Amino acid sequence: MPASPPHRIRTTFTVLATVAAAVIALGACGASGKTTGSAGGSGGSTLKWGWTLPTTWDPVTSRAGNDVNVLSLVYSAITRLDEQGNVVPGLARSWTYAEDGKSVTFTLRPGLTFTDGTKLDAQAVRANILRGRDQRDSLIASQLHNVKDVTTEGPLKFTVVLKDADYQVPALFAGKTGMIVSPKAFGGDAGKRLDTRPVGAGPFVLTRLVPGSYASLRRNPSYYDAAQIHLDGFEVKEITEPATVVAGLQSGQYDVATLPPNQVDAAKAAGLKVDVIPSLTVRVLDVNNTIPPFDDPRVTEALKYAVDRKALLETSNFGIGEVDLQPFPKGHPGYDPALENLYTYDPQKARRLLAEAGHPDGVNVVITTGTPEGLPEQLQAQLKTAGFTATIKPIAPAQHTQLVYVQHNVALAPDSFVGRESPLQALGVVFGPEGLMNPGRNTPKALLKKFDEIRTTPLDDPKYVKRLREAVAIGVKELPNVWLFSTPRIFARSPRVSELPRVAAVQRFDGVRIDAR
Amino acid sequence: MTAPLPAAAGFAGTVRRAWRLPSVKLSIAVLAVVAVVAVLGAHLAPYDPLAQDAAQRLRGPSGAHWLGTDYLGRDVLSRLLAGTGTSVLSAAEAVAVGLVLGVVPGLASVFAGRAAEWAAMRVIDALLTLPFIVFVIAVVGIVDNGPHQAMAALGLLLAPVFFRVTRTTTLGYARAQYVEAAELAGASGGRILRVHILPKVVPTVAVTAAGAAGTALLAVSSLSFLGIGVAPPAPTWGGMLAADLGYLAQRPLAPLAPALAITITVGALNALADALRDSMGGHAAVPRPTRRDRRQPAEKEPSRV
Repeated sequence: MPASPPHRIRTTFTVLATVAAAVIALGACGASGKTTGSAGGSGGSTLKWGWTLPTTWDPVTSRAGNDVNVLSLVYSAITRLDEQGNVVPGLARSWTYAEDGKSVTFTLRPGLTFTDGTKLDAQAVRANILRGRDQRDSLIASQLHNVKDVTTEGPLKFTVVLKDADYQVPALFAGKTGMIVSPKAFGGDAGKRLDTRPVGAGPFVLTRLVPGSYASLRRNPSYYDAAQIHLDGFEVKEITEPATVVAGLQSGQYDVATLPPNQVDAAKAAGLKVDVIPSLTVRVLDVNNTIPPFDDPRVTEALKYAVDRKALLETSNFGIGEVDLQPFPKGHPGYDPALENLYTYDPQKARRLLAEAGHPDGVNVVITTGTPEGLPEQLQAQLKTAGFTATIKPIAPAQHTQLVYVQHNVALAPDSFVGRESPLQALGVVFGPEGLMNPGRNTPKALLKKFDEIRTTPLDDPKYVKRLREAVAIGVKELPNVWLFSTPRIFARSPRVSELPRVAAVQRFDGVRIDAR
Repeated sequence: MTAPLPAAAGFAGTVRRAWRLPSVKLSIAVLAVVAVVAVLGAHLAPYDPLAQDAAQRLRGPSGAHWLGTDYLGRDVLSRLLAGTGTSVLSAAEAVAVGLVLGVVPGLASVFAGRAAEWAAMRVIDALLTLPFIVFVIAVVGIVDNGPHQAMAALGLLLAPVFFRVTRTTTLGYARAQYVEAAELAGASGGRILRVHILPKVVPTVAVTAAGAAGTALLAVSSLSFLGIGVAPPAPTWGGMLAADLGYLAQRPLAPLAPALAITITVGALNALADALRDSMGGHAAVPRPTRRDRRQPAEKEPSRV
């Protein structure tokens, strides 16, 4: 039987009132969440860092240079780099080289333990170094190929015995190569779980990981420098859409986040603090000089004159950074000021060089890139002025490694070099015969000789910096890669978060505090 | 036994009925403008759509640049106009591929025997399970990231729509009395197809094509948003939208221009397709298969034509 009109009205009102109550309740929940969020959203002193999650939590198989920043949260390395780039004690409190430079003895801090409770002693370090050298899928093996053996003298002393003299070892051990994992975590089947369950002796312990989303960590009270860690917890959150970083910071989704250069003004306008921290990263064009037309040195030289680096820096990075014609940023020991004006923008000279190389009417090139908007488009326009007719070929970002670094079948590709803790290791990556970013794999003999000189020169020897810069000069002039500009790390942070340490090699959070509301 | 067919006034009648609807007039007007811009966009553009001017980048709308400038100082209006042709032609290319790959097998599945029918149906069923974007990304990952490769992949996934519509329509006409009469009179299979089947199938396919064009344009925009298909610096609506999203801090309203272009054009295509379909509705010229036909769908027709 149909309801009478008054009944229908009452029923309607009842339904509407219920819906309204539900909406108000949900709204209240939303508003409540928003308030919490705007307050920073952090419980206690947990810091939320908008960044990227590592490719794996195993430092031996990590596939990206950038991983070192997050891995440093859970692992301590044998040494560290300070804000000036000097090698300073890490897990090891001191080290001494043998007279001939063929062995170096490290002394560990006493009382070190891993977060699984096991002791971090010389035997554990030995097991780690040998694992890095020998494990089949190790991606740091090439850096340890000069290690003949590791011997231990008691629980705190170990000696790295080298095949040839090499004074770069302490610097090498400041990065992923020197990160020490609990042997219990990589022995047997446990090793297979290391990519998601790290066990180290770093400032934090991983407690929860949601791949592609976030990682939760808590403070490690047994960290050797725990007095410098003022955060109870830490969350690394993947930034899915860079355009929303400022909004994410305002809403409390992040407390600190890496910031695209074009959002610096917006972040400041929103009342956020912005830190521009020097980094070892330099933008570069990877050029394969075994692929025409770059197999002619005159064409690669023309390319170096065809690029207006200052314009690229202004547009792509909003002027944040510095024009840089070499693989090290200004202030690095390897940075050679004499190279600053080597390839000033000169499209006419580029055209002349192309004509000399047999291309009076210009030459066609392909720019292969995973991010075709922005720099590649501007580069294309610049190259056109200099006689290069460039086509942009977009690829999936994940294909870059395979095509450029592994197959070496790309002639010209915009890239970034993120630097390395050891300057010689860095030069090996960009100029070395096996260097990932030397796709042509043809290193001049003079440069190989210079590598040997650097390797056998103690870091405190006055000749060390001179030899480093000589090697840089040879690489920049003789090899085809085109260096563009340095790119600092840019962070925006909530005013509740104190200033971040300015270490170029790796982002650290020592001494960082966050005000609880 | 099948129902008698109405006169082939079909399509013309459908168009006449549809034209009475305001939504159709509006859709046609919008699509006419889009078509003109697609053809003449590069000439109508006030600036070279590729010309960069770093000093003018990320400027808001002004007398000199009605829709402002982008991250490289390029005139947004000029890029929008020039990008119309690229976006629309890409969508048209995908629809054309879908038409060919859908209509021909759709006809063949009715007349080419049970094995061919079974194979075609299974292939179409398989294609229907594939999502547009993921499939196209996979294809360009394997072959190459080019506009034609992407549109071929997209067209392949549009084919099942045309296949089903063509097959269903053809199946009905293939059992019509006048087709049987033509067969008895000695007409060849080709003639029956050309004279008695295709003219009846075309209106339905045309309506489907209008709807598919909207789907294709949306997919093309999504793909160029993801950097698949047309490579920068060539302007596309989806590509402009993706690039503008990176500069919301400077120009928060910038994505509106390409987003509106996509929305309005897709909306017009969908409205037109809906109106045409509705106008066909009561007068649909497709005779429904009888119960007997449905029980024995492929026994009669394949061997006859």
